[in-house]
Parts: sequence; structure tokens; C-alpha cells
Amino acid sequence: MSEQTRRTRVSAAGLYVPLLLGAVVTVTLGVYGSVHTPTGIAVNVAGFSGPQTVKVWLASGAALLALVQLVSAFAMWGKFGSRVPSWIGTLHRWSGRFAFLLTVPVAVHCLYALGFATYDTRTLVHSLLGCFFFGAFTVKMLSLPKRGLPGWTLPLLGGAVFTLLIGLWLTSSFWYFTTIGVRF
Amino acid sequence: MKRNGPLLTLLAGLALAAVLITVNLTVTARGGDDPDPVGFGAAPATTAPAESAPPAAPPTADASPAAPAAKVNAVWAGTVDGGGATIAISVTDGVAVAYLCDGKKAEVWLQGTAADGKLTLTGKKGATLTGTFGGGKATGTVTANGRKWTFTVKAVAKPSGLYRATATVRNAKVVGGWIVLPDGSQVGVVTVDDVPQPAPAIDPATGAVTVDGAALTAEPVTGALTTN
Repeated sequence: MSEQTRRTRVSAAGLYVPLLLGAVVTVTLGVYGSVHTPTGIAVNVAGFSGPQTVKVWLASGAALLALVQLVSAFAMWGKFGSRVPSWIGTLHRWSGRFAFLLTVPVAVHCLYALGFATYDTRTLVHSLLGCFFFGAFTVKMLSLPKRGLPGWTLPLLGGAVFTLLIGLWLTSSFWYFTTIGVRF
Repeated sequence: MKRNGPLLTLLAGLALAAVLITVNLTVTARGGDDPDPVGFGAAPATTAPAESAPPAAPPTADASPAAPAAKVNAVWAGTVDGGGATIAISVTDGVAVAYLCDGKKAEVWLQGTAADGKLTLTGKKGATLTGTFGGGKATGTVTANGRKWTFTVKAVAKPSGLYRATATVRNAKVVGGWIVLPDGSQVGVVTVDDVPQPAPAIDPATGAVTVDGAALTAEPVTGALTTN
């Protein structure tokens, strides 16, 4: 497989379709968030005091896994020495999957109950980051199986997804913890 | 499997989102199963005759959800058209209390009813609020002190909403009103012996606030005001 990889011509052209689909995701989320009349409520998860606390903790779980993503990605790229444990790839894949799945209920609640909000800088930034996060994640997922992409593709996309998610966490959970308090 | 992994991840996320959306649509359409009635728009809330009713036994035939006698429970809050003032309307069992203020010195309290999608409230000195509600938002017009505001505000959930504190501090009559918006910002005015001033921030969790050195507790507005 590595032989084949080396022979494939390196070109960023393979990114066109992932980027296009990612853009579709981002725009779709933004348009839905703006057009759909927020209901103010959505289904709650048992065991928490309210929908906000559910989201705060789901997002915090995702942010924690995102840190695992960052460290495991560095390890995969040999930043912590050339001896890369074989399980790092598996860890990276599954922590990423769980992080993504944790963000889905949060995003559904945001879009369904609250919508694209522009009350102030924080909600505007959060809304924008949210739309871009799922777009960037789509691009990353669709780029992964492609051969012959430039070497910077995955670090760039992974870094973008990580930065967006941490930005989302800072503008929501971190804000909640520091403004409302740490609650369950 | 390996090459399809990322695609499967995306599809799994999409499937999860679809399931959640479906559950949401089902529950909000049915209305009786609401775990968080505070933020409800009017239409679904009218199907919940009693908040304490257990969510079990979903209605089998709910073709006509609007029982005329059902009471409205909702809170809407937001900025009036053009900015400059903030309004909150809190409805408990059809009894509506509205508060409009600029966070500096202008404020007006109104009371009235919310039923059949219509808001009808009145306040001191001939102040009026008329409007409509439904679909998670309320729209209307407030007239007070010779001025007029129009608004379209969304349903909000705790800790957002309308808070009020009344007390006597060193023989001065203190009435405070606060609107807490979904972004966590607050707008409020405290009137001490009929002299309005910007209100200090309350702790939205406990309602605790210090006015002129006295510790007060702002309560979420539910039902008719005790002193207007």
C-alpha cells in the first residue's frame, strides 16, 4: 500500500469534493439555525438538572477527548520520538468518534431549541464556530481515505477541527462554569 | 472497513442527529411530555393541563390538542425592536406579567392575561401591552408614558427570565425588576421610593442581590404581582 501511495501524484485536487461537502454542511447548519424558529426546549437527558447542564458536560467530555486527539495525533506523527506504539492509531480513531458523537446531541439541542444566535459576541462566535466545526469535521472525515493528498492536509484539518471544538467549549461550557457555576 | 471508517463515523453522527430530531419533533408536537415547560411556546403548553402530571401514558388520539380551558405557561424575553429596551413576559397558568426596562431608569410593569394566542396586559398610568404569541415567540406593542415599543421575543428557559424583588430597606420601598437573557446578560432597574436607578446584577442561580447595602432575593415572577 505504501508503494502505491508513493507512486500516486500528490495533488490538493482531491480536497475539492470534501471541501465542497463540508461547506454544504456548514451552510446548511447556519441556514437551519437561522430559519427554524427556536422552540426554546428540547428533549432532556435524564440525570441532569436541565438541558444546559447536559450540554455543558457533553461538550466538556468532547473537549477532553479532543485533547486526547491532539496528543495522539502528535504521537502518530512522531513528535514524541520515532517509536510510535501500535495502539495510538486506534486510540486516535475511537476517541475522535466518541468526541464527535458527544457533540451531536449538543448541536441538535443548540440548533433546535436556540438557533443561530447573535445576542452578543459570545453567542455569535459560538454559532459561527458550531457551523464551521461540523463542516471542518466533514472535510476531515472525507479526506482521510483519500490517497495522494498533500502532507499538510490532515494536520491542517485536524488542527482546524481541534481549534474549532476548543473554541466552542470556551464560548459555552467554560462561559457557563465561570458565569453560572459548576453544576450537574 | 478501515477506509470506510471515517464515512461510517459521519453517518453514525447523522443517524444520531436524525433520531434526536425525531424524538424532539415527536415530543414537542405532543406537548404533554415536556421535561422543561418553562421555555415552552404557547401552542404545546396549552396541551399540558397540569405540570405535575407524570409524563407516562401519552395521549393516543391527540388530533385536537388545543383544549380551550388549558392554561398557558411560558416565558419570553428579549430586546425590543430597535434596541433601547428589554422586555420579558412571564405567564403562569394564563396570568401574564410583563416588564419593560432600559436598565437605567425607565421601567414599566404590566399585568394581564395570555390566552388563545393573545396577550392583553395593563400597567400604571395607562400603560398597555397587546400582542400575540405562538411558535416559541411573542410579538406585540407596549405603550407607556407616551412612548411606544414593538417587540418580537423568543421563549427562554431558566435561568433566563423575569425576576422581581420587593422589600422595605430603611423605611424606603424598594422594587427591583431584572430580565436575564439567554446569553447571561441582565437588564434591570431598582426603584427606591419611586426613584429609579440601574439595578445591580443578581445571581441568576439564587436571585441574591445587594441593594443599598441590604441583601435581597429576587424571585422568578410566577403569577400575579403582589405589589405593583
